[in-house]
Amino acid sequence: MTRAAAVLLVAAVVAFPLAAFPAAPVTWLAGAALVVGVLGASALSVPLVTAGASIALVAHALALVLTRAPADPSVGAALGAALVLLLALVHFAARTHGAALGPGVVAGQARQWLVVALAGFASAVALSVVATWLGPVLFGPSLPIVIVTGVLGAVLTAAGLIALLTSRQSE
Amino acid sequence: VSWRPTALNVSCLTLAGWALFLGVLTARADLILVAVPLIVALVAGRRTAPPATVQLARQVSADRLFEEQRVTATSTLRADADVSLVEVFEPLPPRVEVEAGRAHAFFRLRAGQEVRWELTLRCGGRQRLRLGGPHLRLWGPLGLAAAETRRRQPQAVAVYPRLVPLRHLPRPVRTQPYVGNHVSPAQGEGIEPGDIRPFAPGDHVRHVNWRATLRLNTLHVTQHHRERNADVVLLLDTLSEMGAPGATVVDAAVRGAATLAAAYLGRKDRVGLIEYGGQLRWVRPGSGRAQLQRLLDTLVEASVVFTYVTRDLELIPRRILPPQALVLALSPLLDPRFVRAAVDLAARGFDLVVIAVSPVEMVRAAMPASPVVDVAARLWTLERRAQLDEHRRRGLTIVDWDGVAPLDAALAAAHRPRLRLALAR
Repeated sequence: MTRAAAVLLVAAVVAFPLAAFPAAPVTWLAGAALVVGVLGASALSVPLVTAGASIALVAHALALVLTRAPADPSVGAALGAALVLLLALVHFAARTHGAALGPGVVAGQARQWLVVALAGFASAVALSVVATWLGPVLFGPSLPIVIVTGVLGAVLTAAGLIALLTSRQSE
Repeated sequence: VSWRPTALNVSCLTLAGWALFLGVLTARADLILVAVPLIVALVAGRRTAPPATVQLARQVSADRLFEEQRVTATSTLRADADVSLVEVFEPLPPRVEVEAGRAHAFFRLRAGQEVRWELTLRCGGRQRLRLGGPHLRLWGPLGLAAAETRRRQPQAVAVYPRLVPLRHLPRPVRTQPYVGNHVSPAQGEGIEPGDIRPFAPGDHVRHVNWRATLRLNTLHVTQHHRERNADVVLLLDTLSEMGAPGATVVDAAVRGAATLAAAYLGRKDRVGLIEYGGQLRWVRPGSGRAQLQRLLDTLVEASVVFTYVTRDLELIPRRILPPQALVLALSPLLDPRFVRAAVDLAARGFDLVVIAVSPVEMVRAAMPASPVVDVAARLWTLERRAQLDEHRRRGLTIVDWDGVAPLDAALAAAHRPRLRLALAR
């Protein structure tokens, strides 16, 4: 049951780039993301699902670059929320595999995930609204902030990948 | 107990960083927005307050049971504050299977709420089962933080070898002065008729044998055999072991010893035990239920301890190995030291019966089935039969038992010489 739900979420994440621009390279990348993600969801492996989601993100970025469509904040926020749900679900399924679940455990967890995902979605939309409003005003001074954010993102990615590859399975 | 970030944080960070990096690289704001829910989740998953205190009380349904019986461990969890997810895990020792329930479970606890977690275990082999207490892990939201502890509530459960009823027990040659179920060669008060002799002053009239009296024209009386108990010493060979864990020759010998002990104690005999192996342990002969408990407690611990030292049975005190006792040796007869000890006992006049536990079937069961294994097992059986015949020629009384079939069948098929030369007491 949890595996099927995780596979559905992987399919939903992969559908974002295909919905944006279903060109050949995007489709290939999305296919690879689907294969890796489904493998991860079937094996209940969080690292594999993370890898699949990362490929899906690259495909989504490629699709956005190719389509040159105007930015849609709700799509980005929805993709982020779907990623949160996917990671939480696979992690929970891996932890509880073969274990007995008491009454209300699944419902309680699902409620928590939905609350966090909705909060993330709302935060992203609110941030985009604020950014749209403040963007023209702070365009000049905010450029260094954007660059610093990009560098921070790159550093976080590298650090996360290194930690992911070197960390032991602690659970 | 404190919160620790879990590996899921790394995954969230990776995806958030990746989204930010791609967003900056492609100059797309909607990619940067992908990172926002992930960062919100990371912030929501952070725990700063100490985790709630979860109290755990556990009860075990029995502290003594026999093999293949069930024991139920009931744990009650109670938290002082809401806990969204608590994980409990009971590590199980080998040869213990979960019959009902799961050894790994997740619960949701509200403040003050009690949750019962029941686990029924089937104990497959003799052992001193130690349930050390479950591991507890509290999970934060989304599984991004965890607090782990272990509630050490060690509880020991003695799993005794299973007992099988026996009908055919080797009869002791010599009996003791106390009343029991064995017909003694000595004459006296009893219900088993013995010889007929002429009447002597002091004889009871009810003992007069009227048929013999009429035939011989003088008063004759019927004598009776006394019913007496006996001393039985179980000599357990723990010098060598073969077979898969839980189904070794020592396990079979221990089961046999426990069964014999229960059967002889049921007949009012005094039963003792000598564990002849790397360590020489013994239980003084005694009778009653307390003695059975002592013997079972000793048998649970019986195991092979490797040694080069040969133990001398002459060093064992007479009160542990009385000369009048029936000695029942349970051994696979694999170690020449035990064979020498058994031959020595027989030569010293002990009433000795060796129950030879065959390792062939146990080793065969532990190996993958193949024609080569079958042929090897048959050859081994033939060789073993020849060895047992050789031991019989040396004066040992041997009962061959494969360790799998009921011991009663092996004892019923065993042939023992008549006990006419027994010493009367």
